[in-house]
Amino acid sequence: MLWVDKYRPRALDKIIAHEEIAQNLKKLVSEHDCPHLLFYGPTGSGKKTLVMALLKQMFGPGVEKVKLENKMWKIDAGTRMIELELTTLSSTHHVEMNPSDAGFQDRHIVQEIIKEMARNRPVDTKGKKGFKVLVLNEVDKLSREGQHSLRRTMEKYSASCRLILCCNSSSKVTEAVRSRCLNIRVNAPTEEQIIKVLEFIGKKENLQLPPGFTARIAAQSNRNLRRAILSFETCRVQQYPFTVNQALPPLDWEQYVSEIASDIMKEQSPKRLFSVRGKIYELLGNCIPPEIILKKLLSELLKKLDSELKHEVCHWAAYYCRTIQ
Amino acid sequence: MSSDIRKWFMKQHDKGSGSVSKTATAVPDKPSPLSSQKPVQTTQENSGRRKTSKYFATSTAKEVNSEETVKEKVEAKTPPKRKTRKSIEDLPDDIKPSPAKKLHRNDDDDDDDFVPPSKDKRSAAVKPTKKMKTGSGIQIISSSHEVDDHLEDETDEKDSETPLKAGGRGKGGRGSGATAGGRGRGGGRGGYMNFGERKDPPHKGEKEVPEGSPECLNSLTFVISGTLDSLEREEAEDLIKRHGGRVTSAVSKKTSFLLADEDVGGRKSSKANELGIPFLTEDGLFDMIRKSKPAKAQMQEEKKKRSSEKIDKPIINRSPRKVEVKDDKAVSIGRKDAAKNVKSGISPDKRKSQSGDRSSLTWTEKYRPKLPNDIIGNQQLELGYYEQVKQLHDWLMTWDEHFLHAGKKGKGKKQSDSGSKKAVLLSGSPGIGKSTSAKLVSQMIGFQAIEVNASDSRGKADAKIGKGIGGSTSNSIKELVSNEIVNSSSDWSKRQKSVLIMDEVDGMSAGDRGGVADLIASIKISKIPIICICNDRYSQKLKSLVNYCLPLNYRKPTKQQMAKRLKQIADAEGLQINEVALEELAERVNGDMRMAINQLQYMSISKSAINYDDVRQRLLSSAKDEDISPFTAVDKLFGFNGGKLRMDERIDLSMSDPDLVPLIVQGERNFNRFGGWLGKNSTMGKNLRLLEDVHVHFLASQEAKLDRATLRVDYFTLLLKQLTDPLQMMPKEVAVQKVVEFMDAYSLTQEDFDTIVELSKFKGHPNPMDNIQPAVKSALTKAYKQGSSSRVVRSADLITLPGLKKAPKKRIAAILEPVENGVSEENGEALAENEEENSDSEDADDLGLGTNADQKPQLDILSNKPKGVQVQLDLKKNGKSNAKKTPASKSRASEPADKGAQMSGSRKRKK
Repeated sequence: MLWVDKYRPRALDKIIAHEEIAQNLKKLVSEHDCPHLLFYGPTGSGKKTLVMALLKQMFGPGVEKVKLENKMWKIDAGTRMIELELTTLSSTHHVEMNPSDAGFQDRHIVQEIIKEMARNRPVDTKGKKGFKVLVLNEVDKLSREGQHSLRRTMEKYSASCRLILCCNSSSKVTEAVRSRCLNIRVNAPTEEQIIKVLEFIGKKENLQLPPGFTARIAAQSNRNLRRAILSFETCRVQQYPFTVNQALPPLDWEQYVSEIASDIMKEQSPKRLFSVRGKIYELLGNCIPPEIILKKLLSELLKKLDSELKHEVCHWAAYYCRTIQ
Repeated sequence: MSSDIRKWFMKQHDKGSGSVSKTATAVPDKPSPLSSQKPVQTTQENSGRRKTSKYFATSTAKEVNSEETVKEKVEAKTPPKRKTRKSIEDLPDDIKPSPAKKLHRNDDDDDDDFVPPSKDKRSAAVKPTKKMKTGSGIQIISSSHEVDDHLEDETDEKDSETPLKAGGRGKGGRGSGATAGGRGRGGGRGGYMNFGERKDPPHKGEKEVPEGSPECLNSLTFVISGTLDSLEREEAEDLIKRHGGRVTSAVSKKTSFLLADEDVGGRKSSKANELGIPFLTEDGLFDMIRKSKPAKAQMQEEKKKRSSEKIDKPIINRSPRKVEVKDDKAVSIGRKDAAKNVKSGISPDKRKSQSGDRSSLTWTEKYRPKLPNDIIGNQQLELGYYEQVKQLHDWLMTWDEHFLHAGKKGKGKKQSDSGSKKAVLLSGSPGIGKSTSAKLVSQMIGFQAIEVNASDSRGKADAKIGKGIGGSTSNSIKELVSNEIVNSSSDWSKRQKSVLIMDEVDGMSAGDRGGVADLIASIKISKIPIICICNDRYSQKLKSLVNYCLPLNYRKPTKQQMAKRLKQIADAEGLQINEVALEELAERVNGDMRMAINQLQYMSISKSAINYDDVRQRLLSSAKDEDISPFTAVDKLFGFNGGKLRMDERIDLSMSDPDLVPLIVQGERNFNRFGGWLGKNSTMGKNLRLLEDVHVHFLASQEAKLDRATLRVDYFTLLLKQLTDPLQMMPKEVAVQKVVEFMDAYSLTQEDFDTIVELSKFKGHPNPMDNIQPAVKSALTKAYKQGSSSRVVRSADLITLPGLKKAPKKRIAAILEPVENGVSEENGEALAENEEENSDSEDADDLGLGTNADQKPQLDILSNKPKGVQVQLDLKKNGKSNAKKTPASKSRASEPADKGAQMSGSRKRKK
């Protein structure tokens, strides 16, 4: 198993990178009453880990026994029946899903599921939580309508169903939804925190770490903890024992993008355009999301361009990134 | 969609003819021809602009600008052009009818005969299309333009043409040149479209189409040859049919007239000459029609009377009917909504008609053939092959002898007769009589027909672990096919034989996983005959099924056969409809008898006498949808009447494939990239699906909670390394072991392995699998398969079953239980802490949860539930899969339990 998953903390106490947040959450939950929550922050900072740990704190370890389902919903939308299918992970206390998978009909999902959950209010055996938790991922990709319907249903059914929302950037979440939740900002971990985590893992794995090695990894990871751990393991696979100046291998598609960038810089002819286009198609065909390609390409190009062009390139990159969505 | 466009076109045409008189006066007088180009052009421009503004709310500045460019090009035109214009001007005088006839003819305004500039390189080749009767040589650029290289210009031109064309059309005939040119352009656009385009009628839309009485051309047969003067081929056919005539495509003795305006000298005309068939020009046709008709005004009145009657008629105000009545009136307006209304009118109509108003049954039920001989279309011996129905009959009769008794004789002799199969597959397009004939034949022979169709779930029977799907259809079918019915009176001949009819077999693979395979297995063991019915014999899903069945291809009935039957039905229902309309109906439904009868029924609800127009209008609006490929969409967008399409239609067309259409529109230069793009696009789709599979497996392993993108972006590189590096570097057995373990931890399958390798392929990067020797690869496969028999299954699609190449997809819920290994690990860790807790909480609190990861293993034994579910595979070939919980699972569960027990025991002792 990969180290990322092996050493993922499963309890709020064991979370290294966000200790204060974890403590706060623990206090919050111990009072048995939990508002709707919205976790936001950059990717790889530990939101989902936090959510999982929180759930475990709330409901006990039973929450880890999950069922993966591909549920089909038939929804009557006035004039016609829509069929939607979603993958959900559910345990007896919570349901986790990604409503933006449904595309533009996500509001039906939101309405239907929450309704369904709200109806089945769980019988609490020991006077404990009388509510279920619904975890929604990627809420910033929800459509406008979806978010509006979310807000309505949040209010109506809040007694029986609590929401935990996860997203990358809270600006895409409407004000209304944000105001109904407790917003928890999960920062990108600082480099010291990353180093701490990496050293912890190294200790567990009984690895000899040359000095400054973890610092280098942390620096290259762009404050993304997941990336850091992954590249740590990559180095391990590549060459152990570590040398001080070991090269940190980039991800395969990243390498490819930098090749594209250097291609672009070398020659700007239609022929080159054609070949670059082919390479980008290949990246797309390998299921790399286009915004990520664009961002990476931009950063690579910026390294090589002179300052006048930088401004324009940034402008166009931002423009197209917007239009992609 | 093409029918929609044509409808639009047709309506315009009528409207055009109706409104011409008004607009004729509005048009400025003919400018003094050619004294200077400018006035002509300005009027053109004006009229063009006017037309633009009148007909297109969304005219853009661009179009106006492009007029300028167009203007310049016109200026650059050579003298032949002028001549053209001049001669065109002469034309209207000739065409103008003798004032005796009060009919409106279009004043052809020459200012609109503005030939769009062409960049055609073959300008020399601009042919005189044909000679007018008047003899003036008109040069209309109708030749196809070559594809242009200049992207913007092309689009500009197109834009410029469209308003002119549109205006031309709308006013009933101006800008014929423009339209002709446009048409030519549309025709020439890329060799892959519009092969063999006929030249355009030179006076397209100029002449007003007369209306005669609907029987004026009765019993006359026409053949159309070449390009007519002002009518398109379809228009001419339509006209003739509307007046009761028939149109055929080849000249024969029965032909009354050969309709041609020019003598092309082809086969038709030579044959006509041979047979002495008179030639007829378009004008002659018009005369014929006009002669026989009552005044047009009267016709209108009649129509109005009829429609007003209908409004009064039904007190049972069904809204769909109202809509239909409106439709009659709305003929001239031709909104697209009309189509929609009609469409929506059908379904409530159907329901209501079924619920019973006048007729208690739908006509399809009422007139369903009761005898095999009534089934039209698949009886004829003349067609040169054996009739299907008879074949079906014979097969069924002899089934018993072949299979039941033969089985008794000796096992080896089952397929002794090379032709005899246990099942038969009826295939053919919808509505031609397959299900009907199957049921009928089985009834006739005395079999009891059991029908299962696509509305029953017919998926693989009992594929879930530990959950018997009792009572599912598939299971009961299995029962059926494997049991013979034992009758108390042991008289063989009296036994009620049954036939299984599996209708809509090609619908089976969508929701019912493994259904076809299951069916094949059933066929092999079946003791009753099975009739399978499908639409597409060559579909992928049925490929293997066909080998086990006797294929019978049903043909579509011919127009005549259908018309005959429809006439019978119409007579029985007291509906008046003439032959031509029936034939049109028969033609439009594309051989689907069921649809034809339905259409007939719905039309009859509103009227008691149906003529050709109604049929046509009804069927145009509810024609079967075609899939518009991006090429045809572009063609239509830029075709001659592309400008007449309303905005929403245009949007529909261009959105028919939002990726390709813009690319095509940008021009031919991108064409050679299409192949690449299309290929990549489909690869991407496929890869996304594979990635999703990997993703699901990942989630199922409960180790990671990722979304798909993160999985690909972050994890894959490392996954790949972990999977392939050991194979490259470490010795074989150790490596294989490690990799298999890793895959298990994330519940990855072999396909996932391949997917990961595939998705990490980049040009120029080394393929990690290259350095691995094949021996290692095969060892990996072997080890993985071995492991699969005792592997903990976390997802339903990881079950591999014999007889199935690909496991059923993950439409079934996957039930996961915590891994034993995980449990034992955690137990090891957690045991120390939870010692005290567990002793307290020995009464299992959440019974619903089953085993809990942190609970002591002792409790597990007590609770008697195996932690992992193992699939024991039957290696028998009967294709049945038994998912048993083997005792092995218990023993495995007890191992860590023992360990744990020992540990806890030791702890207790320590205490």
